Amino acid sequence: MQAPPDTTTAATPTPSVPWFVWCTVLAVTSAMIGGHWDISWHRSIGRDAFWTAPHIAIYLCGVLAGVSSAYLILSTTLGRNRDLAPSSVSMWGFRGPLGAFIAAWGGVAMLTSAPFDDWWHGAYGLDVKIISPPHALLSLGIFSVQVGALLLILGYMNRSEGALKQKFLRLFLYVGGSIVVLGTLFLMEETGRTVMHTAEFYRAVAIAMPFILVGISRAAPHRWACTIMAALYTLFQMALIWILPLFRAEPKLGPVYYNVTHFVPPAFPLLLLAPAVALDLLRRVSPRWGVWRETMATGTLFVAVFFAVQWPFANFLQSPWARNWFFGTAYFGYYEHPTWLHRQYRFWPAGSGTHVAIVMASAVLVAILGSALGLKLGEWMRRIKR
Amino acid sequence: MKRALAIVAVAVVVLGGSSTTASAHVGSPDVYFEGAAGPYRVLVTVRPPDAVPGIAEVSARVTDSIDHMTMVPLPAQGIGAKLSPTPDVATRDRDDPRTFVGHLWLMQAGTWQVRLAADGPRGHGELAVPVPALPARTKKMQTALGVGLLALLLLLAWGAISIAGSGARDASLEPGVEPSPEARRRGLRAKGVAAVVVVVALVGGNAWWNAEASDYARYVYKPLGLHAHVDDGVLALQLEDPGWLKSRQLDDLVPDHDHLMHLYVVREPAMDRVWHLHPEATGGGAFRYALPAMEAGRYRLWADVVHASGLAETAVAEIDLPAIAGAPLDGDNATGSGPATFEPARTIAPLDDGARMVWLRDDAPYRARRAGWFRFRVEDAAGAAQPLEPYMGMMGHAAFVRRDGSTFAHVHPTGSVPMASIMALDGAGDGNAMAAMHAVPAGATEVAFPYGFPRAGDYRIFVQVKRAGHIETGVFDAHAE
Repeated sequence: MQAPPDTTTAATPTPSVPWFVWCTVLAVTSAMIGGHWDISWHRSIGRDAFWTAPHIAIYLCGVLAGVSSAYLILSTTLGRNRDLAPSSVSMWGFRGPLGAFIAAWGGVAMLTSAPFDDWWHGAYGLDVKIISPPHALLSLGIFSVQVGALLLILGYMNRSEGALKQKFLRLFLYVGGSIVVLGTLFLMEETGRTVMHTAEFYRAVAIAMPFILVGISRAAPHRWACTIMAALYTLFQMALIWILPLFRAEPKLGPVYYNVTHFVPPAFPLLLLAPAVALDLLRRVSPRWGVWRETMATGTLFVAVFFAVQWPFANFLQSPWARNWFFGTAYFGYYEHPTWLHRQYRFWPAGSGTHVAIVMASAVLVAILGSALGLKLGEWMRRIKR
Repeated sequence: MKRALAIVAVAVVVLGGSSTTASAHVGSPDVYFEGAAGPYRVLVTVRPPDAVPGIAEVSARVTDSIDHMTMVPLPAQGIGAKLSPTPDVATRDRDDPRTFVGHLWLMQAGTWQVRLAADGPRGHGELAVPVPALPARTKKMQTALGVGLLALLLLLAWGAISIAGSGARDASLEPGVEPSPEARRRGLRAKGVAAVVVVVALVGGNAWWNAEASDYARYVYKPLGLHAHVDDGVLALQLEDPGWLKSRQLDDLVPDHDHLMHLYVVREPAMDRVWHLHPEATGGGAFRYALPAMEAGRYRLWADVVHASGLAETAVAEIDLPAIAGAPLDGDNATGSGPATFEPARTIAPLDDGARMVWLRDDAPYRARRAGWFRFRVEDAAGAAQPLEPYMGMMGHAAFVRRDGSTFAHVHPTGSVPMASIMALDGAGDGNAMAAMHAVPAGATEVAFPYGFPRAGDYRIFVQVKRAGHIETGVFDAHAE
């Protein structure tokens, strides 16, 4: 006898990812693309204006995050999403997910930076330095949107089960990957090909990456969380190397020391994939070791594995074998003088052995501290329900 | 400037900021240049940016019809002058099809060149215009913008503290659960920590902003100082560097029209006497000149010099002189006089031997920052136009001086750019040499100066030409609206 249809199941709508979560994911994607595109613009064309496509992509991040988060907060407080109120935090009489408040804050910070930056150009000249107070505010805004998106997804993920939880987990790791992308973008000036045989390079990477990878992976119920985030970063940056040079661009500022004809892509991605795999393998046993032993092992392993793969790979990047469309080491900004080390495929001197040892020791130390902070943050994020 | 409270500190910075002023040519930063781009004559106006790096506005009016024009900024000298980016195609003015405009980025302080290329029925021509890029001041923030940014900053600071408190209190609670007293205490502790972080960030940000502002203030152009004194009828001048770019030197001056210094001396406050003198360099930025006969009184001095880089500067001083017996003027040195009163309607300046200098102008009022031609002719007592001779390589020299002394510009028929600056450009091509030749057409009876008053006010114009071996000086007045 045929069983009657399960009308209860049929009547229940399939749970899905809410549109405002997609909005924040789109926002971080827009910032990720816009950030790299803008830097490529400055290396290829040099001159820009406020209304360039990369700037629009960057500020679209703030608009999307700000508008969707503001809607979520207002609708949770007053309107159609009132059922979300029990799983929200309260602030200033409003209710909404914690991630929405943080993303909205980031959107406001980004939009505040626009007139501030415009005034800054008029007062102190057009951008010569990448790092300036208005740019710092913009970066802080983007980072807040990313963290907001991460926590918004995390709240849903930690309240979900089954297939929906897996959907949120994929989005969570995607946003985590975008944080790795922008983290490396902010480190770009300290992590060029020419400094890969200096200890300072490894310390710069160690300051940020263990914290990001450990913190996010701790909150993600996935055994390959670090690997996936590092892989997203690697694939994204490689895609830029392959796609950006397909589009024509010509310098509008001089002197033109290198004849640029197409958009200049970023450098080949750092080999973060290797330490990320190592951290994921370590995570299978280290939680049983206690916090200090775990953080000591995590920080040390990160630096050791990254050093072991990146140092020899830097030799390859300097070789003629990497000067092709795949590895992209034959692309230069128009302003790069023929005598620059970067143009000559030469390394910056590493310094004395003592100096290298001291700085490498400090790299391990900051990696351990970053891991400890990441673990603490990750543990807190695991408990987030709202 | 130290500020105690972070919020107040940021508010002060947002609303106030520092401000200094500076000028080359003294209060007249816009460049006016008339030259030949191949077969085409072009009047170029360049408005340099106040902040550097910044955007210069360029306008070029061509006497003939051309198809299109390109513009590109380059450093005046060095390898940068040879490695040009792709030039911009200039936009044709909608109201005047012979005028082309462009907006060009000048990336660092110093002398630049704007290279123009014109293409038309008579072929291709190029012209280079020297442009000083001198950071003029730190722009103040408009009050409305300052208030708006301050409000947003306070919102962000308060928001960050509140988000930290709410997150620590509520975020890890199961849905529907009210925060416990312990959770509330946790929220308060998080707020306290966040408040400290926010204050540190604001104080640090303020310190960073102050450091950036201080760096830029050092970068703002500081004109050469000029110390003047008289000893036994000899004027001693000493150029003084108040500190600016290390590349600026006092011993790298180059001759402009055969002289290292062109000194205008004008009697204050009436501006009724003027001397155009050429002191001799004695080394290390020092100059000397045995003054001619002069009445006792207060005089203002404007000293034009040009560096080897092509950078032209005007140093200013004031001096009280005793009556000086002095010697007659000789060579290229000259003097003239005009009325003590301001007479903008007067177009005729009497000269010696019954001759006169005539200002060929219409009744249209002069407007500030509007480029125009100032045309003059010398007539003899019978009213016949007199042929002019080259005076220091030019058909004439004119000084435009605001009555309050705040503006001074030494202008030639080629414009406000010294010939030494033009000749200092690397890779400028033939157009500039042709411009120099154009400055001395044989048999000309008129001289014309391209210029625009920098701002509204009353101006005195000292025009000097050479006729029959004598240097003649005409004095006129103008009002700019």
